[in-house]
Amino acid sequence: MKQWNKSRRRALTVIAGIGAGFLMPGAVCATPLRRYEWRGTALGAEASIILYHADHKEAEHAVRRAVLEIERLESEFSLYRAESALCRLNRNGFLDAPSLDMVRLLSECRRFGDLSDGAFDASVQPLWRLYADHFAGHPGDGSGPPRTAVEAARLLVDYRRVDIREGRIVLGRGMEITLNGIAQGYITDRVVDLLRRHGWSNVLVNLGELRALDGRGNGNPWVVMLDGALAGSDGAGGTLTVPLDNRAMATSAGSGTRFDSSGRHHHLFDPASGDSPGHYRAVSVSAPDATTADALSTAIFTAPPARAASMMTRAASMITRAGRADVAAWLTDAGGRTKFLKG
Amino acid sequence: MSPCSPRRVRRTRSGLTPGRWGWAAFLSLVVLFAAGMSQAASAAQKNSVATITSEILTEIFPGGGTMGPVSGNPPARPVYRDGTVVGYVFSSRDVVSSVGFSGNPIDIYAGLDIKGRLTGAFLHKHTEPILVIGIAEKRLIEYVSQFAGIDVSRGAGLGGGVQPAVEPAKTAPDVISGASVSSAVIRNAIFRSARAVARSRHIFTDDSKNRLDRETYTEATWPALMEDGSVVRLRLNQAGVAKALGAVLEPDVPPDGLFIDLYTGLMSPPRVGENLIGKLDFNDLLAGMAANDQIIVVIADGLYSFKGTGYIRSGLFDRIQLVQGSSTIRLSKDRYRNVERFRIPGAPEFREIGIFIIPAATGFDPLEPWRLELLVNRNTVDRGMLHAAFSLPYTLPGKYRLTSTASGTEPDNGFDDKFGARYWAHEWEDRLVEIVILGLILGVLSGVLFFQDRVVANAERYRLFRRLFLAVVVIWLGWIVGGQLSIINVLTFIHSLLGEFHWEFFLLDPVTFILWGYVAVALLFWGRGVFCGWLCPFGALQELLNEGARKLNVPQVSVPFAVHERLWPIKYVIFLGLLAVSLHSTNLAIVGAEVEPFKTAITLKFDRAWPFVAFAVALLAAGLFIERFYCRYLCPLGGALAIPARIRMFDWLKRRFQCGEVCDLCAGQCGVQAIHPDGTINPNECIHCLNCQTLYFDENLCPPLIAIRKRRERRQKLAGGGDNETVE
Repeated sequence: MKQWNKSRRRALTVIAGIGAGFLMPGAVCATPLRRYEWRGTALGAEASIILYHADHKEAEHAVRRAVLEIERLESEFSLYRAESALCRLNRNGFLDAPSLDMVRLLSECRRFGDLSDGAFDASVQPLWRLYADHFAGHPGDGSGPPRTAVEAARLLVDYRRVDIREGRIVLGRGMEITLNGIAQGYITDRVVDLLRRHGWSNVLVNLGELRALDGRGNGNPWVVMLDGALAGSDGAGGTLTVPLDNRAMATSAGSGTRFDSSGRHHHLFDPASGDSPGHYRAVSVSAPDATTADALSTAIFTAPPARAASMMTRAASMITRAGRADVAAWLTDAGGRTKFLKG
Repeated sequence: MSPCSPRRVRRTRSGLTPGRWGWAAFLSLVVLFAAGMSQAASAAQKNSVATITSEILTEIFPGGGTMGPVSGNPPARPVYRDGTVVGYVFSSRDVVSSVGFSGNPIDIYAGLDIKGRLTGAFLHKHTEPILVIGIAEKRLIEYVSQFAGIDVSRGAGLGGGVQPAVEPAKTAPDVISGASVSSAVIRNAIFRSARAVARSRHIFTDDSKNRLDRETYTEATWPALMEDGSVVRLRLNQAGVAKALGAVLEPDVPPDGLFIDLYTGLMSPPRVGENLIGKLDFNDLLAGMAANDQIIVVIADGLYSFKGTGYIRSGLFDRIQLVQGSSTIRLSKDRYRNVERFRIPGAPEFREIGIFIIPAATGFDPLEPWRLELLVNRNTVDRGMLHAAFSLPYTLPGKYRLTSTASGTEPDNGFDDKFGARYWAHEWEDRLVEIVILGLILGVLSGVLFFQDRVVANAERYRLFRRLFLAVVVIWLGWIVGGQLSIINVLTFIHSLLGEFHWEFFLLDPVTFILWGYVAVALLFWGRGVFCGWLCPFGALQELLNEGARKLNVPQVSVPFAVHERLWPIKYVIFLGLLAVSLHSTNLAIVGAEVEPFKTAITLKFDRAWPFVAFAVALLAAGLFIERFYCRYLCPLGGALAIPARIRMFDWLKRRFQCGEVCDLCAGQCGVQAIHPDGTINPNECIHCLNCQTLYFDENLCPPLIAIRKRRERRQKLAGGGDNETVE
């Protein structure tokens, strides 16, 4: 199963920053700010933090803080660390003395489950395990695991049976949780909070999901480019660029981890059918925070296309801030056509 | 008013009582002598540990060795075997000024091996009256000796201390029953001094690293702690929280209304912890936890509670957590202490104050920055559970960081602070109800004493009142509050006058303090009787029991006066004996003070070893036949009070010239036979029960008054031929 873990990477479908000036320190010479970039991994995905600051030491210090925070939350939410809180929860069926982060994120999962009528479900891990085990034993078998096994696994999926009690989280029998559809967003938000608290601005955090803190330090906003796979085989414009002003952007795509060569079976599952949904090539969501963006992109990707618009509307009303509805989605279908939805 | 002078000075017949000036001369001699002794004693003590003998060494450091000279700060003597240091011996008095309730330092010699284990402890010196009121000294010595083998890096095992499950750890002995405060003082003295020695000798910590200063105490106020970052603050208003939650502010909530005003800080440095909660509580907290555990304080004001209610059931606080680097530390109920109020000057009232012990096993490093995270939940109908988290970052101020380089290593001696400076005030606030009730009782008593003529006018009602008053004194003042004064208080007071006098130590026990203050003034006005006859619970108990016995027709023994007055001096002899012994050894005097049955009958309510109970019961039994047998002949406290009572300034008890001449009615009725056959009331013996005064005013009982009444009646009869005259 390990080989899946390694390859099971969310595709970075968004490339941070455009333009030559972005890459070279000297280009922002009007100010004494210098660009610093950290690269590493978070929850098995490539991660980076880009920040602008005049002082090298300060920048290093901030990065060290951020890395410790990522490390802390990974030890909570990672499926790849046997001793993480999440793995202990899955292994034992319960978790005593959960951190406030765990309680909070599982509550968010429940909230997004309700919002998407179950299309977003953190308890799909038994399905993932079934597929992973099947394709590990039968590489190239395009038909996937037997239907009865899928049905049996599907019966274990129900986020409403995750019981968040005081001081303890309890799962229903046989249940397992994955937070891969939301934890990157959550960690991104926490890192941004941390840096903001320490007085940072002009930061772009990319931990699988993106979130920008202010602009790029020269008065311009961060700009992200939705890559070619998303922006269309119709060739119109090739790429799509989106400014990211104190916002977050998340993308869900089946291409991230494929179980088979055809791409019919991948790491995202529709809890209703037990299959990998194939409505979209990718879904990108822009929201005020990365947790929402991450969960919503997963939910829209998984649910039938007819429910996308209503989900966006509900999400918008749910995260209303000062009366401003601000979620946006770019849905790229299998044919490569991108549709824009505003919540 | 009676026709004769009520204040007629009688010739004194003071057969066995030395004159006033004789007493004064004797007492001043005693005081001078004692002062000289204590001067000589205190001059010899510089470092107490310097006086450890090789016999004591083998007791506190089994196996012994050679002791090096006193060195370092805090001072200790290294113990060598084959040329290498195998441990240290120290005196708790040198290291921490652990002051007991007597106001004098408790001094315990102890040995510590280089692994941080206590090798033994020896009670070198103490003067703990409160402690010893409850227990025998032998048990105290036993208690101290039980500390051998304890790893002082761990907690004392009394709550909060986290014991690593590697081996069954030996924990500190239990509290001595009946003396919990003093045993806590002893335990804390041993732990805190041993840890200070261990830390300064780098027994716990890696020599090369910086470490947290857990020894230096300097006084600080709340604003000072806020100013220098010892305590950090986060203020959240309603609008800010609503924004973070993504929620709409409800129309009736003011946007700038206070949601929570949250404070936190590391409390382990004494400058923070000791100032915040006071030395006694802080030491108690430290003794209950492991040496490398840390303490943080969380304080809040405003509408939102950082505690919530979930922790009561789950044992885990679900609104706050501690984050340091990559670790998340949950705060649990079993390592949490509630604090009602701070002792630190300048602190406002807070809605809630909590102390959290952070075990070393969590990996928490006090030198590294950390943050307190506050989680706010809001359940909404349409949008589910909303969450927002807020962080309060803390960075250790440089002053609490000791660098290992050269000079900065050794902490200054920060232990010369005056114990109890603020502690007593807190004690008074805590016992406000008792103080008020006691004030009422003393007010009523003063009223009775000042207006005694009018009070005793109705003899029946007066007797009923007195019985009621005595019952309150026995039950409430004695058994409930424990307000029984003792000869030990007198000895302590004399000793503290000879040595260093601190009001604080006496103020620590408000009830005793108020009682003594009142008794002292009352001595000048009315003599010893105010205490003995009204405020002594044991005396009251004897009198009530004797009254019961009379009701049951138990025969009363009237001691022939010649025998009676020759038995009086016993109590003075006992008192002077105890005073003399106490100059030699307070402990011995305290053992001697067991002639007082007060501890057994009142303080411990007879819950004691049988010989003590038998003694107290025997005295009470004797009191059934001879009223106040103990008070009359044995009580050293009564004796001690009678001596200064000689300087009283007024005679309140009225006499007639016929008293003792033609009539000795009241002498026969006096409960303690304090009235001489010649009619004089002996103020050394009088308990001021006013029984003679009820007789004095009774026209039907007092023979001179009867005579006057008869004469008047005759006159009236002659003058008016009274119709409705009754003949008795």
